[in-house]
Amino acid sequence: MSVERRFAIADTCFLIDWARYRNRDLLFKIFDVVFVSESVLREIKSETTISWIASKLAENKLALYTETEEELEEARKLVEISRRIPHIPSIDLPEALCLSIGRRRNYVVLTENKGAIMAPEFVEGYRDVVVWRALEVLLAAHLVGEVYVDCNNPLKYFIEYQEDTLHIFSQRDLLEVRHKIERTRCEQK
Amino acid sequence: MKEPGVNKNKLRKWLEEEEEARRIRREMADWEYINKQPPRIREALKYYIETGDIRRASKLAGLEIEEFREILRKARVPVIV
Repeated sequence: MSVERRFAIADTCFLIDWARYRNRDLLFKIFDVVFVSESVLREIKSETTISWIASKLAENKLALYTETEEELEEARKLVEISRRIPHIPSIDLPEALCLSIGRRRNYVVLTENKGAIMAPEFVEGYRDVVVWRALEVLLAAHLVGEVYVDCNNPLKYFIEYQEDTLHIFSQRDLLEVRHKIERTRCEQK
Repeated sequence: MKEPGVNKNKLRKWLEEEEEARRIRREMADWEYINKQPPRIREALKYYIETGDIRRASKLAGLEIEEFREILRKARVPVIV
C-alpha cells in the first residue's frame, strides 16, 4: 500500500460514514487535501456531516472540486460500461465521477460503493486507479505510525469505526489488516 | 476506455463475499422495526438487505442517501464493504 499519494477525492458513501467516526480527522494525517466534488456535496444533508465538511473546508483540509465537462462525459461512459457487466454492481454518476477524476489527476478515490471499488479490476482503463475504503485509510494510518498500536488489541481503531458507523468490515479483511499491522508495528518491538 | 474483461475467479470471489454480506445483513437487521415502517421505507430496507445498493434503495424510499443511511442504522442493518 503506497502512502506517497497525498491527494484524494471522496464520494458520498465514504463521507457520510467517515464523518461519524470519533477519529475522523485521521484522514488528514494520510492526505494533505481531500477533494469533494460539487455533485457529492449536493448529496450531503445532515448537520453532523455538513458541519464537519464546512469546518474542514475552512481549514483547507477538504477542498471543493469543480468537475469539468470532459470528466463528466468520461464518468457517463463509465456508468454505461458498468451496466453491461453482469453480476457486478453498477456504478452511478457521482462515484463514476470520482473514478474519472482519480484516473485523470492521480488522486486516491475514497468510496464505499462496491461497483466503484471493483472498477479497477473490471474496467481496463482504470487498472491503475487506487481506490480505498475506510479500511485502507485506517490501515494506512497504522502502517505509517499515525496511531498508537496496542499490540494486544491491534484492531482497536477498526472496531471503534464499526461501533460509530455500523459499517462492518469482513472477517477476512480484518484478519488481513491485523497481520499487516502486527508484522509492521509489533514484531520488531 | 476499453470494454471490461471479467476475470471469473475475481467474479466468483465477489459473488461469495456478497452472499456472505447478504446473510449478515439479514441476520443483524431489526425485523420488528423494519416491519413497522411505512410500505415505501420497508420495501426499500428489504431491497437494501438483498442488494446492498444504497443509492437505489434510497431512491425507492424517496429519501436522500444520507437520510436513508440513518434509517439503516435505526434498523440495525449494517453496511458491509
